[in-house]
Amino acid sequence: MIEIIKRPGGAMANRPLHFFWLADCSGSMYGEKIEQLNYAIRNAIKPMQDVAADNPNAQVMVRAVKFSTGAQWHIATATPVEEFKWDNLSSNGVTDMGQALQLVAEQLDVSLMPERCLPPVLVLVSDGQPTDDFSAGLAALMSKPWGKKSVRIGIGIGQDADLDVLQKFIGNPEVKPLQANNAEDLVKYIRWASTVVLQAASAPASQVKDQVSTGVVPIPQAPAADIDTDDVW
Amino acid sequence: MSTLLKREHIIYGNLTQQAYTIDTFLGAGTQGEVYRAHANGKLVAIKWYFPHYIQNDLPLRQRLENAIRKGSPDNNFLWPLELVTQPNNAGFGYVMPLRPSNFKSIVDLMRRRAEPSFSALISACLQLSESFLQLHAKGLCYRDINFNNVFFDPNTGDILICDNDNVDVNGATGAINGTPRFMAPELVRGDEPPNTESDLFSLSILLFYMLMLHHPLEGKKEAAIRCFDQSAMNRLYGTEPLFIFDPQDTSNAPVAGLHDNALVYWVLYPQFLRDVFTRAFTTGINDQHGRIRENEWRVILINLRDSLFYCGCGAQNFYDADNVKQCWACNKDLVYPPRLRINNAVVMLNHDTKLYPHHTDQTQKFNFSAPLAAVNRHPQDPNRWGLQNLGNNAWTITLADNSVKIVDSQRSVNLAAGIVINFGNTSAEINV
Repeated sequence: MIEIIKRPGGAMANRPLHFFWLADCSGSMYGEKIEQLNYAIRNAIKPMQDVAADNPNAQVMVRAVKFSTGAQWHIATATPVEEFKWDNLSSNGVTDMGQALQLVAEQLDVSLMPERCLPPVLVLVSDGQPTDDFSAGLAALMSKPWGKKSVRIGIGIGQDADLDVLQKFIGNPEVKPLQANNAEDLVKYIRWASTVVLQAASAPASQVKDQVSTGVVPIPQAPAADIDTDDVW
Repeated sequence: MSTLLKREHIIYGNLTQQAYTIDTFLGAGTQGEVYRAHANGKLVAIKWYFPHYIQNDLPLRQRLENAIRKGSPDNNFLWPLELVTQPNNAGFGYVMPLRPSNFKSIVDLMRRRAEPSFSALISACLQLSESFLQLHAKGLCYRDINFNNVFFDPNTGDILICDNDNVDVNGATGAINGTPRFMAPELVRGDEPPNTESDLFSLSILLFYMLMLHHPLEGKKEAAIRCFDQSAMNRLYGTEPLFIFDPQDTSNAPVAGLHDNALVYWVLYPQFLRDVFTRAFTTGINDQHGRIRENEWRVILINLRDSLFYCGCGAQNFYDADNVKQCWACNKDLVYPPRLRINNAVVMLNHDTKLYPHHTDQTQKFNFSAPLAAVNRHPQDPNRWGLQNLGNNAWTITLADNSVKIVDSQRSVNLAAGIVINFGNTSAEINV
């Protein structure tokens, strides 16, 4: 039987949303930390895809940069979130965070970006301090209109993460860096960044009254870090 | 995954003392998480709030208790049934009916994962208007009409409205201002708190989205925006809202290639629908008194559904006073079926058309409880079509030659031009 076309037209018009992971792969991430990060990102793929599927306003494209001694693309091609897979990272070397920002800044140039987009989302995950010229990297990023318009989230792993640097990266005093002191927090924060923040950047949820938003988009509250017992708060 | 409640957790109803056992996590929003749970072999849904949300929305508990006491405006709401709590846990949530799996989200409609016929889609729009009428008539305000709070059955057009925990007495101070793209301009600008009139604006947006698969304010101005951020949204939906089909101002017209759905659908619908959307998004955009009320939507949507007819290819087209000549699907010339003119409305007499008290009795407006007439075929001559009287009262018909006949219950009248049917207190004329 021939399927009758019930109604004309296509899917609702939407815009691309470019999402970048910036992952610290320095030597200090070696062992548990890098494996926890790999696990947390793999764990966030399905929820991220679900959020994207439920959001008719965005067409989510994912890329990833890894940085240690120098910075390289881990996922160089903007990949539709439905096809996004995560190959595990390994670690050694120093923390050339500035170079990672340079790499992303190059890709955010107006000549390489589509003409019409949603604000890009950049999620920076690090356990330490930059060993290269972080400020130059940040300046390069902020010199690009799409860099300036991006929604930036910083996640620190462990006590040695440089929260001041992450705060500078975020560039919005209302949004604080998240400090993950255990694997469970990391899973939670990565998931939050790849779902709630993703959603906020394209189709903000219900607006809470008197919500102040000075940033590119209003960022909902991050989940609280886990206290040992499940139900204590 | 870390969730607030876990499988096999038991929570208790505050009214019934019923023990509900958590089965599965269904999803999370900005306020909390939703689970499927069971009690006495019956499945329900539980919404459980995030601790930080409870802190930010202090009137929440009182609001829910009020909603529970008042009860659901009609059967289309997944209304809170009772509060639930857990021993040694300061958190709380509420129980509501579970949404059956045949209900799809409006996002599925927008992404073309759910494909209702025009008639089912219009029925869904109609039910939405009726349910919001019931809610508003109770003095309540919904506050957050958007894609994620409405579900529909693509086969029947039945709808379900969820997230009823923001519902409050109209004018009350609440925690939620609405969802971007759906909020009335005065809310986007922060000039006014949500109220019934801003709900009506959001309803018009949702109906436009459902019928056109596009936002009514996203035209040239949207196309000119490179980065669609908060300030762009505030401009487009708040400080400079302009309807894409504003007859006086074409500076925000839809752009081919970017806003194709708007261009495709706008011309497909009859003029009376275009007129009402034009009012909704021109006079109604800044003047709260100009908003389209649910009862007007009901009339328009019923007329819209009644104007549907089939092309030979099977596609549903809209009758618009002989203005539409070709089928949108196959481009062939359309052949109009006989139609019934009742007062100012036209009902297309398709092979499956039924008339209800709404059509045949002017004192029974909006009554669709049981059909009183149906198009049928002559039992011996399949080329002869008629309208069968399914009610108990006889009709009086006047033929073209002014002769008068009676059509008793279960009998049929030929679909011939010029016949006037008197249903009792309403008359209608058959046109071919």
